[in-house]
Amino acid sequence: MNALGTYLIIAALLFSLGLLGVLQRRNLIGMLIAVELMLNGASLNFMAFNRFLAPEPAVGQIVTLFIMGLAAAEAAIGLSLILALFRKLRSINVERAQQLKG
Amino acid sequence: MDWLFKDPVLLAVALGTGLPFLSMAVILIFTRGNPRASCTISISAVCTSFVCAVYLLAKLFHASAPVQYQTAWLLADDVLIPFGYLLDPLSLLMLTIVATISMLVQIYSLGYMAGDPGFSRYYAFHSLFAWAMMNMVIAPSMFQLFIFWELVGLASYLLIGFYYEKYSASQAGKKAFVMTRFADLGFLMGLLILVVGYGNLNILDLCEAGKTHALPNMLVTVSAMLIFCGVIGKSAQFPLLTWLPDAMEGPTPVSALLHSATMVAAGVYMFSRIFPFFASSPDAMTMALTIGTITMLLASTMAMVTYDLKQVWAYSTVSQLGFMVMSLAAGGYFAGVFHLTTHAGFKALLFLCSGIFIHEFHSNDMRVIGKHGGRNLRIPLVCMTVGALALSGVFPFSGFFSKEAILGVLANSPNKIWLYAGLLGALMTAYYSFRLIFFVVFPKGGVEEHHGHHGEDDHGHEEHGGEHHGYIFWCMAVPVMALATVTLLLGFFQSALEGFLMGPSSAVQAVAAHGAHAGGEAQAAGHGAGHYVLLFTAVSLGLGGIFWAYMEFGRRGAAQEGFLSKLPQIQELFARRWYMDDFLRKSLDNFIYAGLTSAFTKNDRRIIDGGIDGICFFTVAGGRVFSFLQSGMLQHNLLVMVAAVGLVVLYFLF
Repeated sequence: MNALGTYLIIAALLFSLGLLGVLQRRNLIGMLIAVELMLNGASLNFMAFNRFLAPEPAVGQIVTLFIMGLAAAEAAIGLSLILALFRKLRSINVERAQQLKG
Repeated sequence: MDWLFKDPVLLAVALGTGLPFLSMAVILIFTRGNPRASCTISISAVCTSFVCAVYLLAKLFHASAPVQYQTAWLLADDVLIPFGYLLDPLSLLMLTIVATISMLVQIYSLGYMAGDPGFSRYYAFHSLFAWAMMNMVIAPSMFQLFIFWELVGLASYLLIGFYYEKYSASQAGKKAFVMTRFADLGFLMGLLILVVGYGNLNILDLCEAGKTHALPNMLVTVSAMLIFCGVIGKSAQFPLLTWLPDAMEGPTPVSALLHSATMVAAGVYMFSRIFPFFASSPDAMTMALTIGTITMLLASTMAMVTYDLKQVWAYSTVSQLGFMVMSLAAGGYFAGVFHLTTHAGFKALLFLCSGIFIHEFHSNDMRVIGKHGGRNLRIPLVCMTVGALALSGVFPFSGFFSKEAILGVLANSPNKIWLYAGLLGALMTAYYSFRLIFFVVFPKGGVEEHHGHHGEDDHGHEEHGGEHHGYIFWCMAVPVMALATVTLLLGFFQSALEGFLMGPSSAVQAVAAHGAHAGGEAQAAGHGAGHYVLLFTAVSLGLGGIFWAYMEFGRRGAAQEGFLSKLPQIQELFARRWYMDDFLRKSLDNFIYAGLTSAFTKNDRRIIDGGIDGICFFTVAGGRVFSFLQSGMLQHNLLVMVAAVGLVVLYFLF
């Protein structure tokens, strides 16, 4: 197995674990962390392809930097939403947040 | 605009027929709150029209061919619909009649309508009417004629319902509108058939085609009969004649202008407008003759029993219109148009005189007017007598000449029954006209007094004799006297008018020559014994009618009851208008309301409403069903999303 394949498998594993976490966890913070895992899997893919296949080395790195920035922003917004939800429901269990109204 | 000023005829016709519209617009937009300005604008516009009309008549009196200006208005495939002006003897004559009577009536209205809250509105509608009527008269194509025909109907509706707070007035307006519209449906269909079958609605072309019998017989008969429906509606012929008496709810000057002199004559005018076309279909002519005769006799009988001043003249208008239709249908083009002319004069006169009485005594009942001293209003009384004499066909008033002409035409038709019907009509006309006059002049008992001050009132009128009203009275008296003069003199212009109408520029010249022979023979060559017998019979019947009325209503000690009160059933029949209204009401209830309307209502309720309700129901129910899929769990949604994306990925991979 070549080096690229290894990286891709690891990235796929990361992504799958993240997906599993999003679907399975009931804790909103846990779901947020799982989403970060998925993003990291995607970033790893970009870096791997960039390292082994791309003629222009900068592109993949730039995309990854963007993803990191995005993830930071997403975490900030997500956490503030979770905080607001917690103030309202006194819980961060996603099963409690079933109604759009309120 | 340069071309407009280069041709004085075009300028006159555009100015004369366009100004009233302008005046209506100005009154409605700017001067509604200023009655004085409104009436000044309207009257100056109609006076300009009058001057233009007289100028055109004088200028084109000896013209050798019809003058026509037109511009393409609508072009569809090979059907060209023009708009413009057609000036031939008939339209010039009618234009002059309309302008003259409009002007006189508008001046008269200054007095009659003084102080009315709707004064400006009244003048605006009058201007609308004058504009529509004049444009209808000079239309070069049947289509333009139809458009303005409808506009005239609108003006009539607005003016009948002028006192719209009054329930009966608004009902009468509606009745007139619906009845004439119903008839116009036939008119429009006739025109459409003509467009499809002939492809041209130009009046001169239609007359030409009628003269040369260029059209297939079937087409002419069907379209002529349908177009005649328009005449039935507009000129209040049998069986749609009941709207006209009801139209008397409008102000009296309106009745004088629209519902006797000009607008209702529009049907007869249209008939004579395309006379050669009608003449080429003997079946349509026979139908018209029958309808005219029935109308004339029925309306005369109705006039014999009513006590309402205006109703009498309304019925008499209907019957005289029937007389004109008879004359035209019997081929007497000139006689019909001539009677239209004289009738416009003396019937407007009669209505305007009645208006003075109604304005003075606030009552339409001839017995009340007589009792309250109607005979002390000398000027209107004399003028009304002049009008009634003309209506009865007594020499030397204008009605005498035109009635003789018509009877001459009828005498020449092979079937004598029309002549006898005409003579009977003449007798009844004289009877009911003078029944009214005698009621006013020789009041007797039989009417309860309405208030205690009656004697005092009477005294007041006797003292001042009605002359003390000054401005208002003279506003009304001057047009009346002018019309009375016209009525006295018009008859003597018969041969001049005949020469004009039958002249080289007339559209009907060749065909009418045939019909004119009928009249002409009786007139010119007919100095034979036969004509004199007819003349003598007609005049003696007219005088006989007057004498009969005198015996029953006028003479000292007369019961003022009339022979019909001895036959209560017949009187009831006449007074209820031969149950025509009941019949129409019944058929409306049974066929329209119970049949058509209820079917449409059912369609509306069941099918259209039901369909829309059904769609709503299915939408709601569908929403309910699909809402079960939505548990509100975030992660279920995510799972479905991932599964769907997974499926899409699988699809693209394999």
